[in-house]
Amino acid sequence: MRAQTDFVRVLPIFVLKTAGSYSFLTKPVNEQDTRNRDIALLRHIGARDRDAFAEFYDKYSTLLFSIASKILNDAAEAEDVLQETFMQIWEKAGNFDPNLGQPLGWAVTMVRNRAIDRIRASQRRNLLTEEAGVEFALAAKSSETANETVTGHEKAKLIHAAMVDLPAEQRRAIELAFFAGLTQNEISDKLQEPLGTIKARIRRGLLKLRDQLEGLL
Amino acid sequence: MIDERMEEQAALHVLGALSEAESREFTQAMTANPELREFVARLSAVTAAMSGAVPKVEPPPQLRAKVLSQVASAQKIVSLPERKFGLVSWLPWALATCLAILLIVLFAQDMRFRQTVGDQAEQIDKLNQLAQSLQSATNELRRTVLALQETNRLVNLRVAMLNSLVADAPKTVAVSLWDNEHQDGVFVAENLKALPSDRDYELWVIDENQTPVAAGVFQVDANGKIRMEFKPARLIKTAGMFAVTEEAKGGVASPTMKNMVLAGN
Repeated sequence: MRAQTDFVRVLPIFVLKTAGSYSFLTKPVNEQDTRNRDIALLRHIGARDRDAFAEFYDKYSTLLFSIASKILNDAAEAEDVLQETFMQIWEKAGNFDPNLGQPLGWAVTMVRNRAIDRIRASQRRNLLTEEAGVEFALAAKSSETANETVTGHEKAKLIHAAMVDLPAEQRRAIELAFFAGLTQNEISDKLQEPLGTIKARIRRGLLKLRDQLEGLL
Repeated sequence: MIDERMEEQAALHVLGALSEAESREFTQAMTANPELREFVARLSAVTAAMSGAVPKVEPPPQLRAKVLSQVASAQKIVSLPERKFGLVSWLPWALATCLAILLIVLFAQDMRFRQTVGDQAEQIDKLNQLAQSLQSATNELRRTVLALQETNRLVNLRVAMLNSLVADAPKTVAVSLWDNEHQDGVFVAENLKALPSDRDYELWVIDENQTPVAAGVFQVDANGKIRMEFKPARLIKTAGMFAVTEEAKGGVASPTMKNMVLAGN
């Protein structure tokens, strides 16, 4: 499935608010614009621009909170993790290197690692791992996904569909790694599959997603 | 070219499924391999998109204000230089300026004080030198006065030569120096014969009334010499003559004329 790129193409308009501080009034038209805008936001956050920080929060807080909620299955803890994550973003934005990834991936990794650390600290991983094994991490087809707040409804549906299309064993290995925080060896033990098989499933699953989402990301 | 194994490592890395040691090793490999970095960046984007396929859950509305407030308070601590200048922010600078001015004033006063102290020390040195000069001059004057007094005293001294009256002692000579003002004198004699232990020579000052006044007893040394300062027993208005008699030990009230040894004026 190829992603469609029929979004309204509107050039981003940067309005000068004060010296060195920009407000982004319009949505970008494609992923490159999004990436550039996010990089600019992080640069301004690194320079202690609270307006840029607020904009970054408004843009990604729902997505990051949804991920934390999925991992932790606890609203209060997810709230703490989101707060910690944004403070970390505030502190570390100046160190962000665009060559090593995109801002959204950077923030997602941050919130995921903090949530997983909480699970490990509270010794709840076994229980959640079991839950991850029986409960599908993806949203039901009819319900809204967290991506809708970032990519819009249509694109979020395409991403969701790509995930649904993954072979179940590949998706489960990926979800156990990302949402349950298991290492490759732990996944191997959990699924009682050889380590090589697990590695191969994860690799093939991500490469398939990459190919299906090409043009969207 | 990225091989299959490296692709597996990259997939596990973006999902956080590598152990800490494996993750460190992979990060190092990624740093040295731009193609691998690009590959990982694309997989990260895929992972981010995948993670957003979870059910949407809105964060509590009040959390936004809480986070922004936390950032604002952190910014106040971290970004002091970016704060707008207000009365409070000027206060430390104003205090620092006042302190600097105070230090300058104190420094100037200190310099003036040091100058004053230096001047006073110089004046003290000069006064000390003057005092030393005055003391030296005073000493010199005192010496001069003493010399003059001595000269004047010498002028007023009466010098009397006493001659031997004993036939067997012709070489005996004696001099008496008499200061009438001070009523004292010095008697010097040579070649006097030594006396037995129960006998003494006695010096007499004969006044203007020819009355002898005892002025002291003495013995001579082995060489027949004597030097004696003397002071008569009573006031001598004018010393007319000096004489020496041989007397019993300790002297007598009136001279034994037949035992007169020396006499002169």
